[in-house]
Amino acid sequence: MTFTGNPVSPGIATGPVFLYTPFKPQLEETLIPSDAVEENIKKYEDLREKARLELEAIHDKLEQDDPEKAKIFAAHKDILFDDAMDEEIRDAINYDYFSPEWAIQTTYEKFIRILSKAKDEIIRERVADLRDVRSRLIRIWFEVPEKNLSALEKPVVVVAHDLFPSDTATLDRSKVLAIVTEIGGPTSHSAIIARSYEIPAVLGLSDAMTLFADDQVVIVDACEGKVFTEADDALLAEYAQKREEYLVKAADLKKFRDVEPITKDGVRIKVEQNIGSADAMELEGATCTDGVGLFRTEFIYMGREQLPTEDEQVEIYKKVLNAFGERPMILRTMDIGGDKVLDCMELPKEENPFLGLRALRLSFAHPEIFKTQLRAAFRASVVGNLWIMFPMVGSMDDFRRAKAVVEEVKKELDEAGLPYSKDVKIGVMIEVPTLAVIADLIAKEADFCSVGTNDLTQYSTAVDRMNPSVSGYYQTFHPAMFRLIGHVIRSFDAEGKSSGVCGEMGGNPLTAAVLMGLGMRTLSMGIASVPSIKKLITNVTIPELEKLAATVVNLNTAAEVEEYLKKELAHVL
Amino acid sequence: MYARSTIVANRTGLHARPASDFIACASKFKSKITIKRVGEDDEANAKSIVMLLSLGLGQGTEVLLTAKGEDEVEAVDTLIELIDSKFGED
Repeated sequence: MTFTGNPVSPGIATGPVFLYTPFKPQLEETLIPSDAVEENIKKYEDLREKARLELEAIHDKLEQDDPEKAKIFAAHKDILFDDAMDEEIRDAINYDYFSPEWAIQTTYEKFIRILSKAKDEIIRERVADLRDVRSRLIRIWFEVPEKNLSALEKPVVVVAHDLFPSDTATLDRSKVLAIVTEIGGPTSHSAIIARSYEIPAVLGLSDAMTLFADDQVVIVDACEGKVFTEADDALLAEYAQKREEYLVKAADLKKFRDVEPITKDGVRIKVEQNIGSADAMELEGATCTDGVGLFRTEFIYMGREQLPTEDEQVEIYKKVLNAFGERPMILRTMDIGGDKVLDCMELPKEENPFLGLRALRLSFAHPEIFKTQLRAAFRASVVGNLWIMFPMVGSMDDFRRAKAVVEEVKKELDEAGLPYSKDVKIGVMIEVPTLAVIADLIAKEADFCSVGTNDLTQYSTAVDRMNPSVSGYYQTFHPAMFRLIGHVIRSFDAEGKSSGVCGEMGGNPLTAAVLMGLGMRTLSMGIASVPSIKKLITNVTIPELEKLAATVVNLNTAAEVEEYLKKELAHVL
Repeated sequence: MYARSTIVANRTGLHARPASDFIACASKFKSKITIKRVGEDDEANAKSIVMLLSLGLGQGTEVLLTAKGEDEVEAVDTLIELIDSKFGED
């Protein structure tokens, strides 16, 4: 059986499952006699004192080896002594006659709820810290010793509902082969810790705790986000080899992250970064990339009940612009609709969401939301090098209409006396085949383009990416894709304008090589792909890639293309 | 009662370490201190890290500090000074 989740920390591992269930007591409302208030306040204070000692012990143990993680426990101490919560707990014992553990339980619950409503995702994630401190207090109340992942008997794949920071901080790195959890995304504590320890991790695998059993051997492929059970010898052997290859490659690739991407014959290729959460880890990529080739702004709208305000957006855009300084940041206006559901916006249910009211079309249908985003982008433009790109442009009409909205927004800003950069470039994402075909016309009016290869492939090959029964027809290596993109590149070159790629094809060395051979000089990708692409760039010459591309566009099938590229490029992968 | 406002100037805003520093400083005073975003009603106990974080006070936010108690003036002035010092950032 194969199960899938979010691959948040790459790597491959095989081993027995260790189901990790942290201490979870059943609590119920317990009252104390009215004359026992004082002794119960004392019990609460003792409890807090014991928790403080535990936290300080962990903190001190970590401070030497891992000061970053030690900080988490300093923060826990702040929570433990939080003035507002402390007051409420005491009040609950004093006036409601709650027993200490029930007072703690209810007070923390209340503050967890308050924090869950925070606008900032980073703050919402601090909820995990509150839960963690609460469990510590309750566990001490029941006099249960701390159970953690620091004393494992053998190497295991840890499977849990979720991991608390205190579980991961003391975890024995030499015994944890991989981590699988039921909940959690790329910015969760578990993910951050897994990456910093370089432990393969697949998070958000629903029902993992019931799907797997203790000591059952599983294969975790955290490069693809897959977990296999009941693997036969062939599969085990395959993954043992994949693991070896991964380790060798990972060590080798690291060296390429920070090199300047110049081909052997001296052509400088721009390696840009796709970003989608603007968190510290993504922005850290500014140290080794030439800009942001695709800033997916959707996250700003997701997981919240109200639409983001203009000011909130200005703040986020400025943060990214600041991180990249003079280098371009291509902001793609919201690509929502289709399969992406929002809490803050009512969207119609559609038969064919990918062919429906999505992206720019949705922006046109909600001009106020569209204008708020553009106003925020322009207001932020004063601090950096902003380029704006529209998704799902299918015709010249679409583009002109979007540009007209830009002009309106600029006029409004002028009237309000708000400053913005006059050098903001306006371009298109090429992902609807009709636009690729008229690239020569659009290149006259757009300042730049970036090819969104995932959707361009989906629309060109007429395959619904979400429908597994037709996935075989989704062919990234289809010769038509290279012919089409070649036309786009030549068209923009002819007008002296920049063309780039920001889909999967830009981050895969095989396809990136062909695109460079077709004349593309800007590749944008997820930060994880940067080392392998830089390795490719620094090991090839443009003439050899041109030869490669000329061959590829005349091959007959996707399989032939892929096979040919794997053979020709084996030495630089 | 004594109140003053200022603008959060440091890059991270009142998150992470600056928030901890702020709470540690506020806790030294006896007065009851609250903090809020100018123009909004939600106010937080300035000695509570959790309440402070829930306000999400980023760079550029105008905040109002209010204190009531024996050392109210010193409390507000010291905290405003701390915010204006950008917590040693930049």
